[in-house]
Amino acid sequence: MRQGRFWRITAIARNAFREAVRDRVLYNLVLFVLMLTGASIFIGELSGGQERKVIVDLGLSAMLLFGAFIAIFVGVGLVYKEIERRTIYAVFSKPVGRGEFLVGKYLGLCITLLVNVLVMGVGVSLALLYVSGGWDPLIPTIWPAVLLIYLELMLLTAIALLFSSFSSPALSALLTFMVFIIGHFSADLKSLAVSMGSTGARWLFTGLYYLLPNLANYSFITPAAHGRAPAAGFVIATALYAFIYITVILAAATLIFSRRNFK
Amino acid sequence: MKSDRIKTLALALVVVAGMACVAVLVRQIDRLRPPEDPNAADESLYLNGKTARRISLGFNGLAADWYWMRSLQYIGRKLVNDNDVPIDNLGLHDLKLLAPLLDTATTLDPEFLDPYEYAAVVLPAIDVDQAIRITQKGIDANPNAWRLYHQLGYIYWQQKNYAAASDIYGRGAQIPGAPPWMEAMKAKMVADGGSRATAREIYTRMYEQSTDEKVRDMARKRLLQLDSLEQRDSLRKLFAAYQARAGRCPTSWKELDSVFRALRVPLDASGAPLDPSGVPYVLRAGACEVDLDPKSEIPMK
Repeated sequence: MRQGRFWRITAIARNAFREAVRDRVLYNLVLFVLMLTGASIFIGELSGGQERKVIVDLGLSAMLLFGAFIAIFVGVGLVYKEIERRTIYAVFSKPVGRGEFLVGKYLGLCITLLVNVLVMGVGVSLALLYVSGGWDPLIPTIWPAVLLIYLELMLLTAIALLFSSFSSPALSALLTFMVFIIGHFSADLKSLAVSMGSTGARWLFTGLYYLLPNLANYSFITPAAHGRAPAAGFVIATALYAFIYITVILAAATLIFSRRNFK
Repeated sequence: MKSDRIKTLALALVVVAGMACVAVLVRQIDRLRPPEDPNAADESLYLNGKTARRISLGFNGLAADWYWMRSLQYIGRKLVNDNDVPIDNLGLHDLKLLAPLLDTATTLDPEFLDPYEYAAVVLPAIDVDQAIRITQKGIDANPNAWRLYHQLGYIYWQQKNYAAASDIYGRGAQIPGAPPWMEAMKAKMVADGGSRATAREIYTRMYEQSTDEKVRDMARKRLLQLDSLEQRDSLRKLFAAYQARAGRCPTSWKELDSVFRALRVPLDASGAPLDPSGVPYVLRAGACEVDLDPKSEIPMK
């Protein structure tokens, strides 16, 4: 039974990935490659000899931005499209649980994002090789930052899926985008909590700080551009945080989705 | 089948012709648009560095790059007709937005060292207090970057505050990995701060250490200027000797030709001695004085 569940989730994930490829989600890579190629050739003149830093900043920022758009806009449509096209009835007429369906869809989009960030990471490395005219010491330092970006995108995908399990795609996209923004303001939430006069407000902001995903922890683009890699302990802790958070969100999404009536 | 091909061809033609029309129209509109307000380029920045950092959502490195490139473009636009001016002498170019731009870039990415270098080299001629504040901010954010101590010491040296310069060089020399000449500069500043030898040492180190082409070019020109100052002092000594011998100042370089040849001074075809950039000096006839040719790349000031 357990093996059966694993294969069902794998089959749904594989289909979700295929669907994303069919929907030309990975076409953003073409835009990314064009942008990076242009930057590699022309940025030297504009940046006063800082082309390596600019390429890392630009490449990794684009990786996060494109990935966030995919996570939000594809993520919110994962469930909705199945309901809209009524294919969900065909899925649930088979021995597939609602939780399995959600997890499978989630993993499918995560695979799409993994392909995306891997290709983009290779693109940034090649651009660095080109501008340095050979091996560049920044190449190994960008990969931990790429891993952190991927973890952030996995979190964002889970959040998009959670919202889409009970609301419309437009509202889900808006709410996910707001979480993305607030998640990067977590340091401000903490300082707000400290500076608030009333106890209620202090509790509110402290609660928000601990409950909302702390996405600022995954921003390691700027240090990577200076050749600094995060400590292994930091990466392990943030990865653990992401996996626990994702588990919680997927559990909540399953809880909501399993009570949803499709009639 | 044939009609499909005609339709495709017609649509492709519409795309190409339409884009060509758009390009022509853009040129026409550019011609008709009223000229831009010359002060618009110097409008204050809408965002200060802290706000920009807060709203950058983790893209602060990229935003810092953008402000850095904007600083370079800003200087470039102001110097479009005046490319030969060394970047440490831009006091007359009304660069009031440069300090906020560099400040924002360094607040967005405090580890980005090149904007601090620009603040130390370019800003003193415009706003020395801002230059010191931004470079000091760089030291606070990067206490192990000895280059920043060298740059702050350079600002104090320019201000003839040799005691402060010596103190900064001394502090920088304590940093692990700082080159031994930082310690030597500390002593030199106190003993001999205003001398040409100290100036030569500073610009030589700046030329060696900087990765920025414009800063290196400035240091190179300053080193040429120091060479030229020494050459002109030597020429004045020759004028004085000639005056003592002939009772008057020379009226043409030809009158000193034999002396130049004996001293193996490089000359041009007309017999005028060449400055370190290879341009002939100008003799102020009858005044025992020598000037740089305006065509020379050596800075007058």
